[in-house]
Amino acid sequence: MQLVMNIKKSFGSFALETDFTITGQKTGIFGTSGSGKSTLVSMLAGLVRPDSGEIVLDGECLFSSTERINMRPEQRRIAMVFQQHSLFPHLNVTHNLLYGFKRCRPEHRSIDFDVLVEVLKLGALLDRGVSNLSGGEQQRVALGRAILANPRLLLMDEPLSALDDSLRFQIIPYLKSVSEQFDIPYLFISHSLLEMRLMADQVLNVAGGRIVGISSAEELARQRLGSSQVGYINLLKLGRPSESGTMYAYPWGAAQLLLSAGSESDKSIAELSSKDIILFKQHPEAISARNLLQCTVRSLFSSGRKIGVEMECGGNTLISEVVQDAVNELGIAPGGTVFAAIKASAFRMLPG
Amino acid sequence: MLLTGSDIQAIWLTIKLASTVTFLLLLIGTPVAWWLARSQTRLKGVVGAVVALPLVLPPSVLGFYLLLAMGPNGPVGHLTRILGVGALPFTFWGLVLASVFYSLPFMVQPLQNAFEAIGERPLEVAASLGASPLDAFFSVVVPLARPGFLTASILTFAHTVGEFGVVLMIGGNIPGVSRVASVQIYDHVEALEYGQAHRMAAVMLIFSFVVLLGLYARRPDSLKMTGRG
Repeated sequence: MQLVMNIKKSFGSFALETDFTITGQKTGIFGTSGSGKSTLVSMLAGLVRPDSGEIVLDGECLFSSTERINMRPEQRRIAMVFQQHSLFPHLNVTHNLLYGFKRCRPEHRSIDFDVLVEVLKLGALLDRGVSNLSGGEQQRVALGRAILANPRLLLMDEPLSALDDSLRFQIIPYLKSVSEQFDIPYLFISHSLLEMRLMADQVLNVAGGRIVGISSAEELARQRLGSSQVGYINLLKLGRPSESGTMYAYPWGAAQLLLSAGSESDKSIAELSSKDIILFKQHPEAISARNLLQCTVRSLFSSGRKIGVEMECGGNTLISEVVQDAVNELGIAPGGTVFAAIKASAFRMLPG
Repeated sequence: MLLTGSDIQAIWLTIKLASTVTFLLLLIGTPVAWWLARSQTRLKGVVGAVVALPLVLPPSVLGFYLLLAMGPNGPVGHLTRILGVGALPFTFWGLVLASVFYSLPFMVQPLQNAFEAIGERPLEVAASLGASPLDAFFSVVVPLARPGFLTASILTFAHTVGEFGVVLMIGGNIPGVSRVASVQIYDHVEALEYGQAHRMAAVMLIFSFVVLLGLYARRPDSLKMTGRG
């Protein structure tokens, strides 16, 4: 997918102005509410008309003020998944799913209904009315309906924000797998950096109606280490734990971590804030933190008044944050060795 | 026989008039209500006020102007003469035309409310799934606004049944042509036939009550674009 979006749009005192070209299958649009990200995708979908500029998707002009082109939304083949409440209440699940499919030209129909139902695990819901579905089920149906319209681009406008945490992380694998399986590129809009890191390869950072940066989600998270209240969140892929006294021992690459929370799953993801990792120059004699890992410093980066320390530890990457004084005192430098102390209770398991 | 032949004729005429007017107003009122629900222009206020006029205007005022318009020197009269239809006053179709104006707000306002309640989102969803505006209107808006259509139709029908002033001004009192139930009751009272008037009035009363009961006792609208979160 290649998207060129060079447009201007004013609403009263708010002005949105973008000039970017992106390629790639999984793009995130990140920004706080009111930053203009929803307006951006509404213009892409044809629901809001830009004041001027042009939008070109895969070589086809969707909007051009100079050439007086403004393709109607129903002709753009750009499907949307909204935050919530977007299923048609007068249609059951099957008829909701087929709404776009029926309106799609036969030559564009490449997605098989039964396969999609299987991928999204909708089989048991097909005859149900949509008002009886849970929030997560509703979003799965909305996603399936959008995919069945055989779009060339899928726009997801905060599709997870109305769901509680456990549902949110259950839906993310579906979002990614349908896009991969049916080869449909997507733009994923969210104000959650975590969702960006789980969903997007590259992220457009929107603030005040402007694109203030295009980077990978990982880079964005590192840039925000100093300004974010929660610091940088390390996402640790853990294996199945075994009991270890009153705690649980999780394999983490070649290393092992002790956590206070257990898990039944073979694969789980734990969050660990850069603020919760204390660095020592030498092995401390005795500390209460249950995890003490010998790490090699890979690089240092500054973000605001903080210094991020990227470390290699048992084949894994870990990022801690310190202040400049600590870097000086401990002599932290790339290639050096440090000991990272982490409390067993500092980890937070992602649900789902 | 409780009702006389002319009573039944008047009731039949009333049903015919109300059905015709309701059908025509569904065709006319739906686009007007849709435009009023979606338009952002200043003209919206003017059109809204014009549509609502029959709610506050004495029927005789409306009837008077319509009589002038349909008369031989009025614009509608000119048009009907050119079309070879003849003069409309004191005919059934003259009555239909007058009733369409008189009952317009009863069709337009409930529909406008129903359309406004649906909001933008379902239309945006439909468009992003490839539905043209007309397709989205019939496949999404009409089913979602079904309670609004029902309310608007019932109110229009019932209001047309209850007309009196406009009917007298435009239609007069011609049996089988313009003598509707309300005029028939008036005639009975004029002729001091209180028994007949009672029976006709009771029919009207029961009809009106049943209609309103049907309207108010309906289950609350369950077709909203909401779901459990």
